[in-house]
Amino acid sequence: MVEILKELEERFQVSDLVQQKDHLAFVSVDKNKAIPMITWLKDQAGYTSLTLITAVDWLEDGKFQLTYMINNPKNKTQIAARVMIDRENATMESAHHLWESVRIYQRELKEMFGIDFPGSPGVDESFILEGWVDIPPYRRDFDTKKYSEETYFPRPGRQSNDPAEYMKSKMYPNE
Amino acid sequence: MDLTKMFQFNADRSSYPELDANGKPIIDLSSHKYLKLWQGPQHPGVTGNMSLELTVNGDEIVESITHVGYLHRGFEKLMERRKFIQCFPTCIRMCVAEPDPNEYILSACIEELGGIEVPETAQWLRTLALEMARLQVLLRGVPGQAGTFSLGLGYQWGNYIRDLILDRFEELTGGRVYHMYILPGGVRGLLPDGFKKRMEENLKLVDEFLVNINDLMYNNIVFKQRAVGLAVIPVEWIDKYGVYGPSARAAGIMRDVRKTHPYLKYGELDFEPFTTTASDVYARSLVRWHDLKMTVDLIRQIMAKMPDKGDIKAPTPNVMHWRIPKGETYVKCESSRGEYGMYMVTDGSDMPRRVNLKGPSYTQATALLERLLINANIADTAAIMVSLATCPPEIER
Amino acid sequence: MSIKDLLTPFTAWKRITKDPVTIRDPFNDRPGAERYRGFHKNDVNKCIGCGTCEDICENEAIDMVPFKDPISGDSGLRPRLDYGRCCWCALCVDVCTTNSLTLSNEYTWVTVDPEDFRYTPGVDKKAWDDNEKGWKKPEGNYEFYNINRVEMHHLHPEDRDKSFVEMVKGYSREQAIAEADRCVECGICTATCPAHMGIPEYIKAVRHEDMEEGLRILYETNPLPEICGRICTHKCETVCSIGHKGDPLSIRWLKRYIADNVSSDKYKEILNTIDLSNNHKKVAIIGSGPAGLSAAHYLALMGYQCTIFEQYEKAGGMMRYGIPEYRLPYDSIDKDIDYILSLGVDIKYNARIGIDITLEQLNKDYDAVFAGTGLHLGRSTGIPGSDNEHVYYATDLLRQITAGEEIEVTDQIVVIGGGNVAMDITRSLARMQNQKFGKVNIITTALEREKNLPADLEEVVESREEGAVINPGWAPQSIEIENGRPVGLHVIKCNSLFDDSGRFNPQCDITKKEFFRGSMIVQSIGQGMDLSYVSEDFKKDLEFGPRGRVQTNAHFQTSVKWFFMGGDIIEGPDVIHGIANGHKAAIGIDNYIQGIDFAPAK
Repeated sequence: MVEILKELEERFQVSDLVQQKDHLAFVSVDKNKAIPMITWLKDQAGYTSLTLITAVDWLEDGKFQLTYMINNPKNKTQIAARVMIDRENATMESAHHLWESVRIYQRELKEMFGIDFPGSPGVDESFILEGWVDIPPYRRDFDTKKYSEETYFPRPGRQSNDPAEYMKSKMYPNE
Repeated sequence: MDLTKMFQFNADRSSYPELDANGKPIIDLSSHKYLKLWQGPQHPGVTGNMSLELTVNGDEIVESITHVGYLHRGFEKLMERRKFIQCFPTCIRMCVAEPDPNEYILSACIEELGGIEVPETAQWLRTLALEMARLQVLLRGVPGQAGTFSLGLGYQWGNYIRDLILDRFEELTGGRVYHMYILPGGVRGLLPDGFKKRMEENLKLVDEFLVNINDLMYNNIVFKQRAVGLAVIPVEWIDKYGVYGPSARAAGIMRDVRKTHPYLKYGELDFEPFTTTASDVYARSLVRWHDLKMTVDLIRQIMAKMPDKGDIKAPTPNVMHWRIPKGETYVKCESSRGEYGMYMVTDGSDMPRRVNLKGPSYTQATALLERLLINANIADTAAIMVSLATCPPEIER
Repeated sequence: MSIKDLLTPFTAWKRITKDPVTIRDPFNDRPGAERYRGFHKNDVNKCIGCGTCEDICENEAIDMVPFKDPISGDSGLRPRLDYGRCCWCALCVDVCTTNSLTLSNEYTWVTVDPEDFRYTPGVDKKAWDDNEKGWKKPEGNYEFYNINRVEMHHLHPEDRDKSFVEMVKGYSREQAIAEADRCVECGICTATCPAHMGIPEYIKAVRHEDMEEGLRILYETNPLPEICGRICTHKCETVCSIGHKGDPLSIRWLKRYIADNVSSDKYKEILNTIDLSNNHKKVAIIGSGPAGLSAAHYLALMGYQCTIFEQYEKAGGMMRYGIPEYRLPYDSIDKDIDYILSLGVDIKYNARIGIDITLEQLNKDYDAVFAGTGLHLGRSTGIPGSDNEHVYYATDLLRQITAGEEIEVTDQIVVIGGGNVAMDITRSLARMQNQKFGKVNIITTALEREKNLPADLEEVVESREEGAVINPGWAPQSIEIENGRPVGLHVIKCNSLFDDSGRFNPQCDITKKEFFRGSMIVQSIGQGMDLSYVSEDFKKDLEFGPRGRVQTNAHFQTSVKWFFMGGDIIEGPDVIHGIANGHKAAIGIDNYIQGIDFAPAK
């Protein structure tokens, strides 16, 4: 694992290495070097299996983190590449040519986070949501609670009391 | 007498329509040669409630598109709004049939990032719960393959024994379907008195069931005729399409997290997952039959080796405001369908920043299934889908 | 494929003779397992309505609804379930602070009205209320929070019994965070605290290591956190929900941790009191004890110009002159008081009302007067021999020790009294005996039995650790005098203190006698107020209650409108009541000066 990470540092200038456990390491890589690095890992380094592609919304920093996790079935190690992209007009190079399943991930990311992958087959088709008009729901600024309160009817007659507030109102209302 | 020829289905599965360079069929709907046919979301042959948009020519499928989205509940998102302990009743719903791996990977993620060491006894109990979950799901899953060819008898047998296993779950965990047993820090109870004895009685029934189902399915000319050679997954597709667990092992590729990355107590157990090479529906079903057999053996081993007493839960910070430092990890385990993993990102708050569940169905029921159904017979759709042990909730989460 | 494949499936027919496996009894229930997570039960008498179940419920299936009027330690609320939302995860059971909430093993419930599925377990009677089986919090080491207190480091008895060095060391950062982590933020404690401090909020600040926020929360209701953080009677801890199955939170030590960890030169900046407004109104405050200081603090924040009149050389009242240094070091007192004085509060030391200046004069010079003059006069047992010159009052001795005056210490001492003051003087004298004679020989006796001793348990335990003999349950009869000095105390067994109607009426057994030898006797059976500063004329205008206490209204205003009173003299006795009284009186004085009239003395 150490050698491959060293090589990634040299070849693709990865940073923020975290060896989470024996067989799992996280690295950060530049947006434009990400797909070449994954391609290299897949074709040259034995990381032939894709585990997942997903995104993390760092709303405060204005960034999306894309995580590509790939797996080497031979030496049983796993590398996760973090790619930080701008949240505004989020776009990333498509990797659908590498694995057949990538287009599914990218389609989901487009729908759930609004990250575009130009050229990825069917990326604009709705994957799970049909007729969705709000902002992409997996973004941090989409408030599920608020949405459900606005969309559905709460059960009438439900009312709760905070113990401390209730005790104050009954025991010492004027203090 | 060679019956092979007598029953051989020799329909000409020609390459019509033509395929383009990417292997995708070129379909001209206006030619009136094709029909759009929806299988699901309400269809007994579709596991769970997803749907397949089939384009058929005669009874031959020329294109299939997987539509999920009938079940979506956004659990990953909901967990971002819940304290770590509150995620635990939520995450189990991501695979209804086999909820325990969800509980385990969520707990393992939280424990890894939160620096919690799970006590020995709890680890054994977790291993037991996971194998019991596999047992109950395979008791339906193995005969279910024959069910897709309208042989429902084995399914009845399996369901009966499964119900008894659910009784064991009920006395161990307090629940039959959603066990909510493995929680961050440990588990929620020791084995009740006499549990091992009752479990052993049930396992004897499974032993008998394994023999009966072997006679009923794997030595059944109809089953063989339908399943042998159906939906073959070439070895090259394993990584290309993302094929995991039993489906990969049916193609001769050893994929079993229990063996490759032993977790919990699997390192101390003696087992060898079954592999074969035919990679068709029959082979995948046979792998599952062997998995069931192995699970019975594993449960016996676990019950023999596990301590009867001990701490069931490590002390954790107060769950009402448990904050976990910034970090990320991926934890995987072997579900009955293959590698089942969770990617969790924490940001130092008392709720996860992001939870992403990766189940084998995500790739197998989409990219792979779409490919496998090309040129298949409509009547085989369900069989192919079931052979991949599709669990739609883990696609949509 | 072979002929075998054609025939083998027919082996399934062998099962035709087997019995069906379905359960054939439609009339009897199939009970749920021992641990089944069925419908909720709640032992409403055990439940304290802390609402932790509501907080942990991820489905928002639980509402806290009124069941009875709240009392100290019980919010009076009880959880109400909405089975339209519940998922029976039983986290509410596992987190329950009193273990009152459980699940039964009942799982069938048929009704035509969906509203039936909202119910308050234990209040709305259900058929499964008496089911023994069902989910309970798992046995063993299974808790969602640490129920054991983070141990506070005390000086070892041998290291402390010769000196007046502070014996409680205070929490370290790690200890404080770990202790603060145990809080479930139910807020039950707030109502019990006389000052209604924002306890869960400042504990949260400790958890988040935000001392500045913590200090701001403390000062909202309590301007003496260093002092209270050490010697508060912590009534809050007696009702802490975690205390029902473990140790209550160390609320007092956490308060001290905040105050200890903010340097005094930052106080004004943190508390935003650098520039205070001035409304050019003046308030005189008599006594610089907790009530007076608290009133001065809150009045100063409102822009009043306050002047404190203190009869002794230093400020603090009983906190300085009554509580020994090993419990409350003087620099802690100074830190709190100096901050209050820095707000522009003026203090005149050695100023006795009635002698140096009259109350009537104060009325002329100031817009209002607040008196927090406390209980300083020792109460006598009145038994024969108690008028001997070697029979002392604890309050006098404690004050003299603080003032650095020489006091008599003999090698054999008897203390009469079972309260905290008795323990204070016992332990102070024990230290002095140790310094002087190298050993402790002191007997402390009280009317109350061991389990009813009014002193805090830890005080009793620590006194014993330091070598004092605490021998309660005796009624003093007489002090034997030989050659003008006491030689001991005659006592008889006291069986009970109160009669059936709860009146003070000690029942003694004169056949069981005892003689405690001692060449010095200290009486510590309570204190009385000293109203000598109030002229007789003025007293006529004051309204007194049945037990000789001055009557005040909710704003601590006496029947003389410009004259407010608070602290031990009205309520308590303890520091936290004084602080709370001072705060309320400050608001009352503000209202009074602004001309807002309110109800007269009750």
